[in-house]
This record gives sequence, C-alpha cells and structure tokens, in this order.
Amino acid sequence: MAHADSTQNSVYLNGKPVENPHEDHHHVSPVWEFTAVFVALLILTILTYVVSFAGLGPASLPVAMIIAGTKGALVALFFMHLKYEDRFYGFVFAVTLLFVAIFFTLTLFDMSSTDELNEEAGIKYKRTVEDSAEAAESAAAMKAAGLKPAAAGGGGH
Amino acid sequence: MSSNAQEHEDRPWFLAHHFDTVGQQMSSAKLGMWLFACTEVLMFSGLFLAYFILRDLYPEMVLVASEELNKTAGGVNTVVLLTSSFTMALGVRAAQTNNNKALKRNLLVTIACAFIFMIVKYFEYTTKIEHGLLPGAWFSALEHGYMLPKYSRVFYGIYFTMTGLHGVHVIVGIGVLSWIYIRARRHEFNSENYVAVENAGIYWHIVDLVWIFLFPLLYLVK
Amino acid sequence: MSDDSKKTDEKAEDSASTDVVATKTEKPVTTDGDGHAEGVAPEKSYLTASRGVMSWLVTVDHKRIGLMYLVATMFFFLVAGLLAIALRTELFTGQQDFMSAATYNKVFTLHGAIMVFLFIIPSVPAGIGNFVLPLMLGAKDVAFPKLNLLSFYVYCIAAVMLILTLVLGSLDTGWTFYTPYSKSTGTAVIMATMGAFVAGFSSILTGVNFVVTTHKMRAPGMTWNRMPLMIWALYATALIQIMATPVLAITLFLLVIERTLSVGIFDPAMGGDPALYQHFFWFYSHPAVYIMILPGFGIISELITVHSRKHIFGYRAIAISSVAIAVISFFVWGHHLFVSGQSELAGIVFSFLTFAVAVPTAIKVFSWVATLYGGSIRYTTPMWYAIVFLWTFTIGGLTGVYLGTLSVNVHLHDTYFVVAHFHYVMVGGTVVAFLGGLYHWWPKMFGRMYNETAGKISALLVFIGFNTTFLTQFFLGHQGMPRRYYAYLPEYEVMHQVSTVGAWILACGLFLVLFTLIHAIKSGERATANPWAAVSLEWRTASPPIEHNFHATPQVTGSPYDFPEIDKSGKH
Repeated sequence: MAHADSTQNSVYLNGKPVENPHEDHHHVSPVWEFTAVFVALLILTILTYVVSFAGLGPASLPVAMIIAGTKGALVALFFMHLKYEDRFYGFVFAVTLLFVAIFFTLTLFDMSSTDELNEEAGIKYKRTVEDSAEAAESAAAMKAAGLKPAAAGGGGH
Repeated sequence: MSSNAQEHEDRPWFLAHHFDTVGQQMSSAKLGMWLFACTEVLMFSGLFLAYFILRDLYPEMVLVASEELNKTAGGVNTVVLLTSSFTMALGVRAAQTNNNKALKRNLLVTIACAFIFMIVKYFEYTTKIEHGLLPGAWFSALEHGYMLPKYSRVFYGIYFTMTGLHGVHVIVGIGVLSWIYIRARRHEFNSENYVAVENAGIYWHIVDLVWIFLFPLLYLVK
Repeated sequence: MSDDSKKTDEKAEDSASTDVVATKTEKPVTTDGDGHAEGVAPEKSYLTASRGVMSWLVTVDHKRIGLMYLVATMFFFLVAGLLAIALRTELFTGQQDFMSAATYNKVFTLHGAIMVFLFIIPSVPAGIGNFVLPLMLGAKDVAFPKLNLLSFYVYCIAAVMLILTLVLGSLDTGWTFYTPYSKSTGTAVIMATMGAFVAGFSSILTGVNFVVTTHKMRAPGMTWNRMPLMIWALYATALIQIMATPVLAITLFLLVIERTLSVGIFDPAMGGDPALYQHFFWFYSHPAVYIMILPGFGIISELITVHSRKHIFGYRAIAISSVAIAVISFFVWGHHLFVSGQSELAGIVFSFLTFAVAVPTAIKVFSWVATLYGGSIRYTTPMWYAIVFLWTFTIGGLTGVYLGTLSVNVHLHDTYFVVAHFHYVMVGGTVVAFLGGLYHWWPKMFGRMYNETAGKISALLVFIGFNTTFLTQFFLGHQGMPRRYYAYLPEYEVMHQVSTVGAWILACGLFLVLFTLIHAIKSGERATANPWAAVSLEWRTASPPIEHNFHATPQVTGSPYDFPEIDKSGKH
C-alpha cells in the first residue's frame, strides 16, 4: 500500500508521518491577553453580585448561570488554552458537557414530571401532608420558647 | 529500522522509553490530563444535579437558608481563586518562555492564594458550626436561635458536601503546585518540557471553574 | 489430540512460515516476523527478562500488569463463583437448608459485588486488554505505564476493602446499595461503598490510559480504519469508564455522607428522594453494563474472523456500533426505575430509548454471523466459545428487549427473569468471550499451546451447564418467582433443582478451563509466534513477547483481517 514505501526515515505520531518532529506547535499567549481575561472575569464577578441584588425574580437563575457560563468559557478558552489547542481536547470537553446535559435533562425531567403527574392523579406525598402540620407545630413551639424567628413566617412576640 | 536507530541518540532525559518523540509524550500527557479534567467535571455534576433537584423541590427553603451564608466571604474567595488562576496561567507562560524566575514567583502567588482561600473557608465553616448550621443530624439552628424552614438541613448538607469536596480539591492543588514549585527550583522545566506545569495548571483551572459555578448557586440565590 | 486440531496446527504453522518467508527478504534482525522461529539469538521474553517477586510487583510493563490483573480477577471470579454455587445449593430445596435468610442476603450481595466490581469490569479491559492493546497497536507500552501499575494497586486496595466488609459485619443491600435500606441497615455499607468507589478510580485510570494510548501510540500506518475491532471495543469501553465512573464515585460518596452525616438528600423522612439515588446510580451503572460487555464484543470480533479465515463483515459497522453503544448507553438508565416511582412519562421515554440500544448490538451480531457465512471455519476452542457466545448472548440481548418494554417489565420486574437475563449477558456474553479470549491469547501470553480436546470439552460443559442453569430461570421468573429469596413455594422446586444441577455442571466446566490453562503453562507444547495465522500486530512478535514488544516498530500496511489465503485467491 501507499504507506509501505514512504515509511522509511520518518517519525510517526498518531499513526501519521510527522514532517519536523522537533517543531511542535507551542502556542504562547501574550500577557495582555491573560490580563484582559482576568479583568473581564473580575467585572463579571461584580456583575453576578449586582444581578443577585437586582431582584430579577425567576430570571435570576438563568442570568446567573449565563454569567457563570461566560466566566467558565473564558477560563477554559484562554487560561486553559483550549482555544489554541488540538481541537480534539475541545471536542472531549464538549462531549463531557453534553453528557452532563443528558444527565441533568433526563433526571430533572423525571423529577419534575413526577410531581405534576402525581398532582393530576391526586397522589400526595406523605411528606407534603406532614410538612404543613409540622410547620404549624414548630412555629407554635418557637413562640412558646420566646425565640425571635430569623426568617419570614409569623412575627414573634 | 530508522526509528530503532534514532532511539538511542539525542533523546532528551525527560523522554520516556516508550515514546518516539517529545511531541508524542507531551500530547499524550495533555490528552490524559484533559480526560481527567472531564472526569472531575462529571463528578461535580452529580452534586450540582442534587443541588438543582433540591432547589426544584423546595425553592423557598433554598432561598431562605442560603441567606445565612456569608456573601462577602464567598465573593472574596471568588476573587482570590480568579487571581490564582490568572497567576497560574502566567506561570505556564513563564515556563513556555524559559523564564524560571517568573514561573517560581507565579507558582508561589498561586499557592498563597490557595491558602488564603482555605483560611477564609475555615472562618466560614467555624461560623456555621457555631450557629449549628450543620448538615443532617447535626443541624441545630433552632437551638441557636435561627428560625429556618424545614429541610434547611438538606441545604446545609449540600453546601458542606459541595464546598467540602471543592476544598479537598484545593488542598490537593496546594500539594500538586508545591511539587511543581520544587521541580521548578530544580530547573526541570523549559520551553521544551513544561507539560507538567501545564497539566497542574489545567487541574487548578478546573478547581476554579467549579467555584465559578458554586458561588452564584450557593451564595447568591435569588 | 484430535485430527481436526492437528490439521489446524499444521495449517497454522504453514501460514506462519509463509509469513517468515514473506519477511525474510529484509534483514533478519529487523524483520517484523518472529526471531524465535527463525533461530536468531532469542531475546528474553517479558516473563524471563527479570526475575524475582519484586520485579513483578514494581513492573511497569503492560504485559506483566495485565497478567497480574488476570490472576487477581480470576481469583475473585473463583471466590464469587463459589459463593454462587453455595447460593444455588441452598436453593436446591424450597426450605432453609444451611443458610439463614440473613446469610443468604449477605452471600448474594457479596457474590454480586465481587463479580461486578472485582471481576467483570476489570477482567477483560484491564486483564486481557492491558496485555493486548499496546501489542495490537504496535506500541512499546501504554501511554502511562506508571499509572497503569497504580491502577492495579488501587484495584487491590478496593479488593481488600470489599473483602474487609466480611469482618465488619458483611453487607446485605445487594450490589446496588439502594437507599433507603442501605442507609438504615446495620451492615458494613460504608466500607463496601468506599471499596466500590476506589475500584471505580482504578477503572478511570485504565480508561484514561487506553484512550490516550489508542490516540497517540498507534504504529505507523495504523489508521483508525486499520485498527483491530478489539481496539475499537476497548476504546469505546474506556470512553464509558471515563464518562460514567465519576458519577458512580459521587453517588457512593453521597451515600457515605448520607450514612455518616445523614444529609437527607436520599432520605424521604428528611426531605430527600430515594429515587434520586437510583437515577444517580444507574446513570453510571447502566453504561457500566456496557463496560462489561463491550470488550467481550471486541474479543468475539477477533475470534470469529481469525478462526473462520475471513475478513470481518461490516468492519466499519462493527467499529462505529461500539462507539454508538457507548453513547446510547447513557440515555437508557431509566429502565431500571420503571417501578421505582419514576413518572410514567419518563418511563415511556426511557423504554423507547432502551430499544435504540438494541440496534447497534444487533448490527454486531448480524455482522458476526455474516462473517462466519462462507468462511473456512476452524473448530478450535476459541471458535467454540465464540459460537457459544453467539447463542447465549443473543438470548440475553433479546430478553433485554422484553425487559425494556415498559408494560412487560412491570410483570417481570425483580423476578428470576431479570436474573436470567443479566446472567445471559454477563456470563453467557462477557465470561464466555473472556474464556474464548484467554484460549486465543494464551499461546501469546505464555508461549504454550493448551490441550485442544480438553478446551473443547470445557466449552461444551460451560454451554450445557450455563443453559441448564439460566434457561430454567426464565421460566421461573415468568411464573412469578421473585429474585433474592432464600426459600420458595413447592411449585418452583423442580425447576430450581434443574437450575442448581446446571450450576454444578457450569462449575465443572470452569474448573476444567482453569485446569487446561494451568496445564498449558506447565507442559503445553511450545507455541509458534503466530499459531492462528492471524494478521493483527500482536502475532508479529515472539510468543511470549519480548520485553519491549517488538524488535522494531512494526509498519501497518493493511487491514488486520486480510488473511493470506484471501489474498492468494485474488481478493475473495
């Protein structure tokens, strides 16, 4: 085959011939790039903080996750050199995230659909039934002990 | 055969016998490290999933219980870890550019940041323990005057498990970075042979990555 | 020796010598052929290169580590197998014979835990795989030899921890450690889960090693499409090991935390959800089932082609289906939760996804059968095992489709039908492939041939014993016999007795395997470098191989399944 004759006097890597084995591609990022990424990360951290106090309601979790995702991407792409590396590392990492997504989606899907379907069928967890009873009980106990509740739910005396 | 003849001449000291070229050894080590990094991500993903399910089951409880966490401490630790990641990246760059002095300096700063992180964590944990905000069976917030919703103990269970496992990774990171530092003092690294520094860096950045997600989820719930 | 096998040997030597002739045009020292057969000053084999116990304990040679893994895994196979015999013997009658209910629980748990974590998962990848993977790739070693040794010792620690549970009050949760029972039982759950955790760590290290080796250490000319299918299977296995095992680690970690700190995440009384544990556990453990079976597929691909002298049918289909199985295996874990309080909707989705995994598996089985068609089949022991595999694995796989069907599953859940199904896959699939692989590579590992007649008798005994044991269990399960019971109603007695007798026959067969293999090492005939006239690279070095595998890096110029006979007849 084609390989048999061309195999002499050459170095192989990953089963393929390498032309100049001593000239491996080492990417050296400039310092300004790291600094810029670092500054961006700090700004995003402050942004997370601000967002958490902004009171976005149900949107706050997705927003916080998007910011964290951006920070994570910055760290991975620049600090971890993923941007300049062999594409395969990025692929492996992406596959990992895909598997995490499968894990999350299917489990959360089951967990959330269980609740809805149970509600439809009129099935109640023993837990939820007991909870309301217990909550009332413990509130009464708190009052009796004369402790000031730290959180919402009935002002103590 | 050609590769056989080449084998015993001009092989650098750090090239292991079963590799043909430095490039092969280096890319193998890096691929191995990336695969390990992936296992770390998947391992933490289990805890994150547990967190999300808890949040799904008891959204109110998570909100109230997380108010007791110290946002300032969490924020400081975020900045500390980001800084350490920055210096780590600079350290790898220093190794790539044969600047051993800068490598050592950056490694020391990174290790110092790791220690600061753990010290802040120590104070956070101490406060939690004093207030009885402990996981599961040890949860005794009521006795310490905190009226928290039922099942808050599960939130603190998750909190301690996640930050605890992360803390263990930080401690391991301190060990790994110290070892790299010792090797750097022996002038083992140069622009041809720096993959150990880079791999330690990848590990350290993963530790940072996990914290980037932990911080808003645990401390800044809204 | 029978005529049949003599013929095989002659033929084998014949083609081996043609190999030598073919390569003799080059300088003899550097030929890819085997030095030993040509009479060139023999280089010491990996077995004799260094001596003493220490030389084995601190070795970084993948071949020695592979052998150590083989010895360790086979030891645990023996231990867990004896436990199985004890269980079956107890079940000979419907009443209590010599085990109390509590003891029975502990024994089946230990049987399952040892078989899964200490035998099936490491046996083929870490045992046989460690030995053959670098050889098949034409590499000098795996990418991280020290990590390889570390993984072996981590495995040993895990084994010690699992065995220690015996001292600490044993374990009665079943190998799955289901909550909430595993949280409340007084037995040594923590030690056992930590043992499984550590075993998982060893598995990850092997997986990382194999993926990197496959990517970076292939011999010149070895493109992805020229890799033996065994490598593809090991590669797919390694991917699952890397992607799934960390989730097992965190699950078991959470279980330990749950027991020590009672965090409550799996405890309904404290606000958690026990079904969550099952989600976590099966996200790992269902793919883990494919960690157990995929390497078996790889072995069978090799055995069938080499011993039927025919190019594999559908090379790409088999290779890609290995990876496809690895990926799809992550979508199907919910079929373990059909009756565990999972929502119906999720049940339907998972049931459908489960069917999808049958597709790549069927592609493989059809390709193997098509390979046999028109091949010049040599009925050697490995071939016998391959045929047994085709039988038993197909039954195991098809009954898996029954169990993946939501409505049928509700009826069959937790009955002997399930037990029979997974034993058909694990024993009828993996163990049979493992045994076939041992016979196939034994000459390479030790440079000795086994006794062909004894090998065939063992295959026959395994086949008869195995089917007697487990085919009856399908009927038992279908009639409603629940699993994990130490006593049962009188109407089940006859079939339980048949099953028990079958287990004894199976045990005889397995002991015969052990005997033949050990006998081969001691006084078998010397094997040539390539007794099967195979083409893949591991047969291009001496038997047993030299310490660094090859005198010179081998060059790959074609498919590992282009057998010389085919070429002579002018391509098919």
